[in-house]
Amino acid sequence: MKNFWRAIAEMELEDMEVDENAPHRYVRTAEDVKAIVKHAKMDERQLTQLTQALYYPGAEVVSDNLRLLELDEHMLQQIRTGQTLHFKGGLHEKVVLCTDERTYDVKGAEISNSLLLVPELKFAAATSTSPLKSPRTGNANTSLERSLNDSADDDLEVPRTLEQKQVLTIFHEYFECREIRPRYRKLGELLQLTRYSGPENEYCIERKLLFSFQQLLDTVQCSRAQFVEGLNQYRALEFDGHIRILDYEYEYRIINLMLGVISENSWALDEVEREETIYALQGIAPEPIVAGLFDVYTKPSDRCPNKFRYQESLVARIVAQNILQPGLRFRSEEFMCTWQDALPEGMTCKLEYLRGLGILDREGAQPCVRSLAEEQLPSNINDRMRALFKTKRKWTMDEMEPYIDCFTTPTLSVSTLLAKHARSLTEGGIRYFVSKH
Amino acid sequence: MPIIIKTSSAGAGEWAIIELQGDLEVRSNQSMHDQFIGDLYYNKYGQPILIIGHHILQGREQKLDKPFAVLEKSKTNEGQQLLNITNATLEASALNATAGAERTLLDDTVALEHKSRQRTEYTVRAICTKKLIFKSRPKPIIANVAKTV
Repeated sequence: MKNFWRAIAEMELEDMEVDENAPHRYVRTAEDVKAIVKHAKMDERQLTQLTQALYYPGAEVVSDNLRLLELDEHMLQQIRTGQTLHFKGGLHEKVVLCTDERTYDVKGAEISNSLLLVPELKFAAATSTSPLKSPRTGNANTSLERSLNDSADDDLEVPRTLEQKQVLTIFHEYFECREIRPRYRKLGELLQLTRYSGPENEYCIERKLLFSFQQLLDTVQCSRAQFVEGLNQYRALEFDGHIRILDYEYEYRIINLMLGVISENSWALDEVEREETIYALQGIAPEPIVAGLFDVYTKPSDRCPNKFRYQESLVARIVAQNILQPGLRFRSEEFMCTWQDALPEGMTCKLEYLRGLGILDREGAQPCVRSLAEEQLPSNINDRMRALFKTKRKWTMDEMEPYIDCFTTPTLSVSTLLAKHARSLTEGGIRYFVSKH
Repeated sequence: MPIIIKTSSAGAGEWAIIELQGDLEVRSNQSMHDQFIGDLYYNKYGQPILIIGHHILQGREQKLDKPFAVLEKSKTNEGQQLLNITNATLEASALNATAGAERTLLDDTVALEHKSRQRTEYTVRAICTKKLIFKSRPKPIIANVAKTV
């Protein structure tokens, strides 16, 4: 097909090479159009009144500055309402595109077709004074209809008009976007370096490694809304103008003290007072830390206005994390007992709270709970799969889900990922996944 | 160092795309700037007809499933780096967390340095929601064949 165009363009050149040297610019005239319509044996009455003559882009257009970006419904709507979008990515990261709410992977797509971008080009409906005819539907009355129309057209002969339209640029590439999950890993890695463990340990912290909300938002590959959500997931809080996460032990200690305030005041679990809690911890921990933790760990109480309740899942997790140190394993019953005893009265530990922290291993003679922190596993899916199967030979899908979830996209589910990276087998009616190799 | 894509609800007009199969080429390396390409007509049924040189093409108007935004880069060409990086697959695969952290941190500091030099931004110039597609083979225009053989 390419050769066709070469042939055409050549022919066209011959036509135009009237004056070789002069910087002559040929401009289409109404006579030329009339002539070519006749030449092509087109019935002028069957055409709308407007002819648009197309020209190559001018020399002043820097085509490299123009890009075509494919949009989905959400992006289109964001642009239509005047929202700002962002490209984000460090030097060694694949660039992502973010709206205020969503994150997209951006990929260049090359095409063999040519896309001519023409500003102000009129589509058919805009070139006709009368409504366009619908394409022939019923064959039976077509001829009749057409002859009627033809005679009508004869009566009102509208003169042909000519408009000159310049192509702005010709594209052979466009950028396509695919919605992806926010990439939080960098956020975790950056915060990890400066865990807060009390004012007395601050001298150990490299000040250069402290980042503000805006600095982190600028570098983490996710949208603003997802970023806020991510900070919440990492239980990050703002201290002294910087976003910080806490050292686990320190966090556990403070949370424990804060929970102690409940029994001291004989509050019900959903009667927790914010001011009172912060006041009780004065002198023990800096106020912004206590207030920040309080806001991360509690939700407004349903029953009592202006009072709060701690989220069981978060409390249970920090307690479990304190027991289940990296590398440790416990007999399952023992672990559950210890865990339950460490929780405030009225809260119950559930295995699901261990999501991404540890796993229940039923393979040995006695089921045991062992530590396996999601955030410490490799960020590359192949390496991670290898690490997972090294820890435990066979997994059910539910067991693997917390560790694979971060690789999923709206079109790539956990089961698709497992189908690709693992082998499945059924034992005793239960489907397991094992290493591919 | 996010690169901003500015949009203005009022400013973004509707532009058209004409899709041709293959490429418009010329044999000589002559510059084609501002040169005439061809005429575009519509028949009464709304079908686009394109005449280029001695060839006639019949196409159709098509709504784009996924519309295009036309982005224009303003200031410096350094920002191009970012889009080109999409091709280079440099997912920092951190085997252990600390090494990974150092690397991202390094990227970040470099990125922060770049920030001062690079003020690239994109503006949405227009949205394209429809195109004219010409995918049938061009037919030659045969002129003035003698009527009597």
